[in-house]
Amino acid sequence: MTNRHRIRTRTQYLSFLVGICVLIAVAACSSILIGAVEIHPGDIGRILWNRITGREFFVPNWEENVETIIWNIRLPRVLMACIVGAGLSVCGVLMQALTKNSLADPYVLGISSGASAGAVCAIVLGLFSFMGGYATMFGATLGAALSIVLSLRIASMKGRITSTQLVLAGIATSALFTALTNLFIYGFHTGSDKTKTAQYWMVGSLSGASWGKAGYVATVFIVALVVILLFARDLDVLLLGDEVAENLGVHTGRIKLVIILMSTLLTGVVVSVSGVIGFIGLVVPHMVRTMVGSKHKRLIPAVVLVGGLFTMVADMVSRIVVAPEELPIGIISALIGAPFFLYLIRSNRTK
Amino acid sequence: MRLQVRQLNYQIDKTPILKDIFLEIQEGEFVGLVGPNGCGKSTLLKAIYKTYKPERDRVFVDGKDICGLGPREMAREVAVMAQENSVEFDLEVMDMVMYGRYSHRKFFEGEKKEDREICLHFIQEVGLEGYEHRSYLSLSGGEKQRVLLARALVQGSGLIVLDEPTNHLDVRFQYLIMQTLKKQDVTVFSSIHDLNLAAMYCDRILLMDQGQIIESGTPKEVITVENIDRIFGVRAQITFNELTGKIQVYYLPDEIGNQILAGRHNLQKNSAQ
Repeated sequence: MTNRHRIRTRTQYLSFLVGICVLIAVAACSSILIGAVEIHPGDIGRILWNRITGREFFVPNWEENVETIIWNIRLPRVLMACIVGAGLSVCGVLMQALTKNSLADPYVLGISSGASAGAVCAIVLGLFSFMGGYATMFGATLGAALSIVLSLRIASMKGRITSTQLVLAGIATSALFTALTNLFIYGFHTGSDKTKTAQYWMVGSLSGASWGKAGYVATVFIVALVVILLFARDLDVLLLGDEVAENLGVHTGRIKLVIILMSTLLTGVVVSVSGVIGFIGLVVPHMVRTMVGSKHKRLIPAVVLVGGLFTMVADMVSRIVVAPEELPIGIISALIGAPFFLYLIRSNRTK
Repeated sequence: MRLQVRQLNYQIDKTPILKDIFLEIQEGEFVGLVGPNGCGKSTLLKAIYKTYKPERDRVFVDGKDICGLGPREMAREVAVMAQENSVEFDLEVMDMVMYGRYSHRKFFEGEKKEDREICLHFIQEVGLEGYEHRSYLSLSGGEKQRVLLARALVQGSGLIVLDEPTNHLDVRFQYLIMQTLKKQDVTVFSSIHDLNLAAMYCDRILLMDQGQIIESGTPKEVITVENIDRIFGVRAQITFNELTGKIQVYYLPDEIGNQILAGRHNLQKNSAQ
């Protein structure tokens, strides 16, 4: 059998990336168009151009609230969907390299729940106020760090990480931290909207998007991405197993630390703006691997783009199905992701 | 001297596995490690290639204490070929072999033409020409082993350590792997189950039992009827094969073996009288 990956040559790979970029642009435009207030497609481009150049290049012949909706509400949301999806997908790839198991992702391992508990803890109890506006983010990252340590400790008991141990560790960790989230909200939250707050943090939603949030998620994401790409080759070799990688000359302690730091930071920041959106880190890397293979230099850029696209589309769906209401995006991602997870467990068994 | 082990002890869960191991392997030697299951062969090899961490001043490669070597320096000194069953994600044969060049590349340096040529050369050397783009997971056991051998060889290390490289392989691949190794200009230290294979290819054999090296010498000196009986508990007959110039071991069923042993015993008695 020759290599079954459909995308092999450099040209094919680059055209694949360009294709996904085009789809992202299409998805972004349609996403901006969808909503209670109707918008003329041509206005999107004109408004964006005016805003980006900072001049009235096109004379505004649209209502002012249209510009506000596009620029202040829908555009940051689209951007955030894209970065959140890309971030979670990259975290999935990292977790899979760390555990050598395709079932690993920040949600399955309970790290998202940990981040969520940390974020809620910071908000409700007012901790980390010395961090100012970054307190939530800081709390979430701390929660992610705690849960990753716990989860990996349980998963790697008795030496090797098996799929069963991995999933069980994830269930336990996620149960613990979800309980903590609920405890903080129902026990200490002073507002009257407890159920709504709890739901927001546990199911995940992009409804709170703003330029500020999109900005800092994007910054952290880009920094983490650059660091990870520098270690792409170490990640490749790590997939062969820790011992083999060490024998081939990889400093496995260092690369594992990099993985844990970067995925903790990414998960923490993503969850602090969107709550727990499950399964994206599982579904996207798996789809992309079957197309471009598992070499990280090729895998990661493709995963970033596909993850962004996937989440933008999921976000769009979440806004369409029960319009004018909207579903939390976490519901859509779970509806797609959970059956996929079962499928992966099944194919994992038969191996 | 390529490899030197001085008074190496190793415990797992407080059970001593290696007891006061001393051994030396000269540049260019092909040394086989032979012994029954559970005698500590794998542990010894793992302590040498640092999967198990030995104490300081116990294992020296090319005169350097391996405890002082980072993973990259270590990989340039010692290449390893061991049983490997944990590949979960698929990759191409060429990529797999190319990972052997990891320790020669600088941080964030791309694939050099030279690296590709070395990889292609050794893929050819193990008889896997045309397999470069095949998926590793789709290969047969023998093909996988040969890919791993190619990967160990492209590392360009002076010493190559192998843990049962011919396990589970049919006769053809057992000999192919040993022949490929023999042709290379490297020092080889390998555990081997098959005594005939060991006798055929090794310059020297170390016999191990219960965590100790109990004998060292040429195949003819170490692989003897007495040692096989004592260490493995199996009766054997050993002949000299003129075609190969090597010894040949035949294992005997207990009835026949015991008769022969008894006969020899009687013979000795008779001559004593």
